Amino acid sequence: MSEPGGETVGNGRTPVQVKAGRHREATLYHALAGAGAGDGRSLAELRTAARIAFESLDLPVWRRSGFWSTSLQDLDLDALDADSPHDGVPEVVTRTLPDRPRAGRIVQSAGAVVALELDPQLAEEGVILCSLEDAFREHEELVSRWYSKRLTLDRHKLEAANAAFWTGGCFLYVPQGLVIEDPFEIVYAIARPGVAQYGRTLVVGAPTSEFRVHEYDLAEDFDAAEEGVRQALHAGAFELYLQDGARCRLAQVQDWGSGEVYDVSTRLVAVGRDAHCHWLPALVGGHLVRQHLELAVTEAGGDMAFRGLFFAEAHEHLDVFAVDLQETGPSGGDVHWRGAATGESRASFEGLIQIDPGAQKTHTYLQIHSMMLSPKARIDAIPSVLVSADDVSASHGGTVGELDETGIFYMQSRGLDRAAAVRVIVEGFFEPIVHELQDEPLQEVVRRKVAAKLAAAREDIEAYATSR
Amino acid sequence: MADLEIRDLHVRTEDREILRGVDLDINRGEIHALMGPNGSGKSTLANTLLGHPSYEITAGSIEFKGEDITEAEPHERAKAGLFLAFQYPVSIPGVSVANFLRMAINAKREQPIQVKEFRQQLQHAIELLDVDRSFTSRPLNDGFSGGEKKRAEILQMAMLAPDVAILDETDSGLDIDALRTVAEGVQRLHDEQGLGALIITHYQRILHYVKPEFVHILMDGRIVLEGGVELVERLEREGYDQIRQEVGATAGATGDDGV
Repeated sequence: MSEPGGETVGNGRTPVQVKAGRHREATLYHALAGAGAGDGRSLAELRTAARIAFESLDLPVWRRSGFWSTSLQDLDLDALDADSPHDGVPEVVTRTLPDRPRAGRIVQSAGAVVALELDPQLAEEGVILCSLEDAFREHEELVSRWYSKRLTLDRHKLEAANAAFWTGGCFLYVPQGLVIEDPFEIVYAIARPGVAQYGRTLVVGAPTSEFRVHEYDLAEDFDAAEEGVRQALHAGAFELYLQDGARCRLAQVQDWGSGEVYDVSTRLVAVGRDAHCHWLPALVGGHLVRQHLELAVTEAGGDMAFRGLFFAEAHEHLDVFAVDLQETGPSGGDVHWRGAATGESRASFEGLIQIDPGAQKTHTYLQIHSMMLSPKARIDAIPSVLVSADDVSASHGGTVGELDETGIFYMQSRGLDRAAAVRVIVEGFFEPIVHELQDEPLQEVVRRKVAAKLAAAREDIEAYATSR
Repeated sequence: MADLEIRDLHVRTEDREILRGVDLDINRGEIHALMGPNGSGKSTLANTLLGHPSYEITAGSIEFKGEDITEAEPHERAKAGLFLAFQYPVSIPGVSVANFLRMAINAKREQPIQVKEFRQQLQHAIELLDVDRSFTSRPLNDGFSGGEKKRAEILQMAMLAPDVAILDETDSGLDIDALRTVAEGVQRLHDEQGLGALIITHYQRILHYVKPEFVHILMDGRIVLEGGVELVERLEREGYDQIRQEVGATAGATGDDGV
């Protein structure tokens, strides 16, 4: 592995003046960083505003000077149906989710919630888990206080579509002081092409609550040769608010399968005073995936660990923008992502550390490691730093690697065949992230996904290795 | 017929021929030492025996237990009972020593090894190699010291129980304590399991702790001198230069690109 090294801005002891924008030349995206659309307007008013924005906007194309663009222009939005029928819980959900103790589970297929369960004991203690539609009916005051608090509705056409047209959705509320060991599972599934799924999740952790959330984004493998519509869309919006002293471990497994599924989503986590979030997305499949993932520490004493892995194959296109936003100090952040690519896939990971004015005594670190498993695969890893305070430390680093032929020979000399040796290397590469899930059933799900990706790309990887 | 038979082996890399006709027989239960100056082709021989893809065999053959393995894949050679202790062991991040060992053992078996049996074997090997229990839960060779890496090599050898092991300069870079532990480990595997070993070394030090019955001296890609342990003592007295002059005069070896 080559070590391109890192760059350090400030060290916390020696104040360094860093000009805003200095490290932002090549980057594409901006943090939401602040107030969202939910400013006292009713849901109906917000939907109307979003619909107006939707109608005036074109499908988005994001271009970074010269070498990267993410375009939704191939998406035939008119051919997709937001009200397409569902047949209960899709098979992919039962096949993928582990059989394990859980606090609750909500499953949305296409545009509707098709399964809902909540531990009755927890319901009695004040936990709310229901569709967001029901939440607006039954807990309107509570939901309105948080809904779209930091999410916007008009940055691009698909964000507007979500805000205007979402159906079903998920609302989870964990009351003050409640500590829950087993996870809440939130599932968005697409069973067939032709679906436009506008998923909308709102999670609120009241002060000093502690809980786990596991989100699964899954689709059946569509047959590409099928007649008619081949595409599907998930345009998601997710927001999680942790109040004073709340703690949440949030994990997400996203695998949209081999069909032509587009996923353009925005996910935001806001960490309040002395609160903590450990957030770990595992992005392992989708025709075109664009994720805006923003973890904001909004009040003093907040802390977070932002981990993630991605694995792109075949012709998949993955575009991740991960933000470590520090709004006040003293606070902390720690971002560590790992990604691999095979086939002719493209992955761009843009990691931004943004430290706002006044966020003094903030310490944060971002690292991104990537591994190329085919000569035609490409990963662009772009760390960037935007610092507007002068007594902070913010640094980043990373590596770019290929399969190590010496390592493969070493393992072969111990009796492992080539495919097994490659698997050991790639799984070992991801293991520091997988390990941090700290949940055995979920770790197994992610390991199986990584293994399946590798098996699918086996010939490709072998051809590459022997060609060198 | 010997367990491992190397006949007239010629090997080249991209830019030059390194082995120029090597003959060697090694049986289970025999300890051989292969000595030679830097650049004589020792590591090339070691890597070639396990099938490293960077070395091309241009002539000759390797037979192991009656099978021609000249063209076999590295993992097939390993499964047949060959082992290479690397001069520079490779780190495998994310995989613990114990998990890697389990994978390697299972690769050789029809049925996965029972947990209890594996633990017993591991415990035995740990004691043999004088390593800490926690050693086996660390990622293989990742952040290991030089001595730890070499111990890990011998630990793997003990667990995989090969018929013939090639130890490529396992002694280099070791302090005397580590050297003794490693050497005694090899000796005990020989005594207890009937291990056959080809100990490749530049120095004589390790041969004070493991006694070879056969000593071969490699120069410029050929074995130029063979004998018993007395050859080690002679080498200590005279050095490679003296021997080179002598065999060069008698065998007519040119040693044009040797060191």
